[in-house]
Amino acid sequence: MKLYAAALMVVLPCLAATPDVDKNRAIGFPTAPVKLEIFSDFTCPHCRVLHETVLPQLKSDYVVNGKVYIVDRAFPLTGAGHEHSREAFEYAVAAARIGKYQQVADALYAQQATWAIGGNVWAAVASALPSPADQKKVQALAKDPGVLAEIEAEYQEAIAIGLNQTPTLVLTVGGKHYNLPPAPDYRLLKSMIDGFLPK
Amino acid sequence: MGSYQSKPLRWTLVALRVILGAVFIYGGYVKLRDPWPLFAMGIDSYHLVPFRFVEPLARTLPAAEVALGLWLILGFWLRISSTLVSLFLVVFFSAMVHAKLAGQQINCGCFGPGEPISKWTLLRDGSLLAAGLFVSWHAFRAPRRTP
Repeated sequence: MKLYAAALMVVLPCLAATPDVDKNRAIGFPTAPVKLEIFSDFTCPHCRVLHETVLPQLKSDYVVNGKVYIVDRAFPLTGAGHEHSREAFEYAVAAARIGKYQQVADALYAQQATWAIGGNVWAAVASALPSPADQKKVQALAKDPGVLAEIEAEYQEAIAIGLNQTPTLVLTVGGKHYNLPPAPDYRLLKSMIDGFLPK
Repeated sequence: MGSYQSKPLRWTLVALRVILGAVFIYGGYVKLRDPWPLFAMGIDSYHLVPFRFVEPLARTLPAAEVALGLWLILGFWLRISSTLVSLFLVVFFSAMVHAKLAGQQINCGCFGPGEPISKWTLLRDGSLLAAGLFVSWHAFRAPRRTP
């Protein structure tokens, strides 16, 4: 019994530290040997570059064939230039609840230069949601305590593992985590992933 | 070391050699422990090295650090080993200062990933460089050992 209790004491904190994956904000197969978590911010220019250039390559090279599972994580930045970060995440995570995360994320990055300065986040989000019914749902869900809690939990997780900039990629293979430097060159990222995959 | 050195100075030099050597061994070890592309990404983030040299550097530098650290601690051919250590530190420190002045928000990469360049990392590496130069200077001041 004592041994069982001791084992529980070891295992429970680990389980608590492993955040749930919001499947609507992930792409690929959860069974993939490599998991790549991307902690990003919709107002960060390097995150836009990663989203628009590196991510499509990753998808075609590793996601479609089930080798890499990509999970988006919220790391809303604070301070000047990032005043609308959290609001953008509220809409994006709300859109994930109705299966429209990728469309909203694409629109937020594509129109980053406009809303990140002007503050009209909703205009960018709405442009990705042609259906008025979807728009209504997302606006309501953006205020949902569950959505706000998910963003805060991911932000706190990022802080807890020592992240301080975006985009930060955390690669997990066989339970081991590697925090990659921000915005790595795709050729090096490819070498790293290939090194973990069976030849 | 020659007899011109006082006992406290001799021990200070030995202590500095051991500290510098241990730092080099540890720095090399943590990089060898991880896959080489991880360190390569760190080198590449400085934007100082042409891309074709990034992989060879990432594959060889960590082992060179370990070897150099051991060499410095063992203390033979001290003029060469201490000069090489100082040269490495000049390069590392200059790269960090350059990144800081250029406003790059990147990791130091000194002991693996996840340590942004800051006043603290500059102070630490600057102190190591000062120690390396001090050991080198005394190595050259000391009379050559004859077989």
